Amino acid sequence: MAAQGGAAPSTYTPTPTKKTQRSPFFSDSDVDWLRPDGRGFHQCRPAFFRTGAVNSAAGSAYAEFGNTKVIVSVFGPRESKKAMVYSDVGRLNCNVSYTTFANPARGLGSDNKEFSSMLHKALEGAIMLETFPKTTVDVFALVLESGGSDLPVVISCASLALADAGIMMYDLVAGVSVSCLGRNLIIDPILEEESFQDGSMMITCMPSRYEVTQLTITGEWSTAKLNEAMQLCLDACSKLDKIMRACLEEAASASQD
Amino acid sequence: MVGLSLGEKHFIQGGIDQNLRSDGRKRDTYRPISVETGVIPQANGSARIRIGATEVIASVKAELGRPNALQPDKGKVSIFVDCSPVAEPMFEGRGGEELSTELSVALQRCLLGGKSGAGAGIDLSSLIVAEGKICWDLYIDGLVISSDGNLLDALGAAIKAALSNTGIPRVQVAAGASGDEQPEVDISDEEFMQFDTSGIPVIVTLTKVGRHYIVDATSEEESQMSSAVSVSINRKGHICGLSKRGSAGLDPSVISDMISVARHISEQLINKLDSEISAAEADEDEM
Repeated sequence: MAAQGGAAPSTYTPTPTKKTQRSPFFSDSDVDWLRPDGRGFHQCRPAFFRTGAVNSAAGSAYAEFGNTKVIVSVFGPRESKKAMVYSDVGRLNCNVSYTTFANPARGLGSDNKEFSSMLHKALEGAIMLETFPKTTVDVFALVLESGGSDLPVVISCASLALADAGIMMYDLVAGVSVSCLGRNLIIDPILEEESFQDGSMMITCMPSRYEVTQLTITGEWSTAKLNEAMQLCLDACSKLDKIMRACLEEAASASQD
Repeated sequence: MVGLSLGEKHFIQGGIDQNLRSDGRKRDTYRPISVETGVIPQANGSARIRIGATEVIASVKAELGRPNALQPDKGKVSIFVDCSPVAEPMFEGRGGEELSTELSVALQRCLLGGKSGAGAGIDLSSLIVAEGKICWDLYIDGLVISSDGNLLDALGAAIKAALSNTGIPRVQVAAGASGDEQPEVDISDEEFMQFDTSGIPVIVTLTKVGRHYIVDATSEEESQMSSAVSVSINRKGHICGLSKRGSAGLDPSVISDMISVARHISEQLINKLDSEISAAEADEDEM
């Protein structure tokens, strides 16, 4: 069973671009630093996925990327609330919340509206909403521990949970973010790096269809850097997709035995 | 929401395919833009922008506050958008909340730059009065008065106009305060500082309908979109932020193409806006 899918690669580091290393403009500038966890700039944290984390849900998944730990459960399709008007396509309801102990300082553990709407926008393009008319699918994500790159992890984990629930999708959705620090691009930033970033980019895409479902950019970017970052993200997304598929295959073959 | 018949939908889509839209515009033409500044006397700066039937107001209020402990040399800026039920009945109660949050987040992303403050349209270090102790907090509020599509571009333009209209009182810090003591300040009511608004980006939204993309979509056209990409671009041609709306996925090469089209359009829009803003300021001075 395990041999069929091959051992799941645990990291989704993109392959280095063909371009040779740019020579540093200033020898004493910030080229020489290391990332706090000792990774290379274009090296991702090991990714771990497991489906079936919550028994009562129709589908669920747990993801762990370094210190970022996320659990997502999917309920439904179930009847839409009465107040909602008739719709011949299904609805998707997304909610992202943080636990009170997710951050170093004790938080309020409130819902994150911004992330909820981003999760919705990233997933809705991948789900075949017309397969469950008049009904609603609920996606609830809980960030157990926030360790940076929370949103991409939530999105990847949510698409895995949807697959686990048997919701029809065009493709899995994988999310990757890149931070821009000085002249360097670092992939899969941790919390510390995110708080000092000059700019960031997040791409969520359907790797088999090679379509971007959601893209956000902040900070100032030149075209060359933008393209480099996009390539980096897309490459990492397709690798992440393989890990996610391996996890699903493993779960499917385990249930057959 | 816009209710359209099948015939109307085909008319809009067919028009966009043939580069002749329902109101006679081409795919890359804006509706006429009119700018009025200084519309709210209570605020430090304000502007009203009309793009076709879309009308928004932006106001800038400045208050003295304490800088963030992590960034003692920077002021703070916050952006909020309110979608009033005046514009559309569906904005009533909590109906407008979702759109308001989406617009606020998109504007923050487009105008405020990265977490470290790099790439921000507004120079945050110019807001500092006494390092680590006193800074200006800017509250930028956008209000949607009438909505006929392309709200984000209109709000972005209104904020740009409002900021160039903003005068912040000059502040004298009394010498002699030492240590952790909060120094006394004297706010001048005659001398004002102006902002350098040349670095503030404009937002260009490209709406994809069928195989083509259009600028400045009306709400009828927006109801037919598959996805829309809003790019904020500054005078240097650098991308300062990007957000995507709409459910349909996009091929990465289409996104790159959209970005380069947006960059081309932004040059004209920046020049158009700048001349409108300076004309509006001149009008205001005459009165």
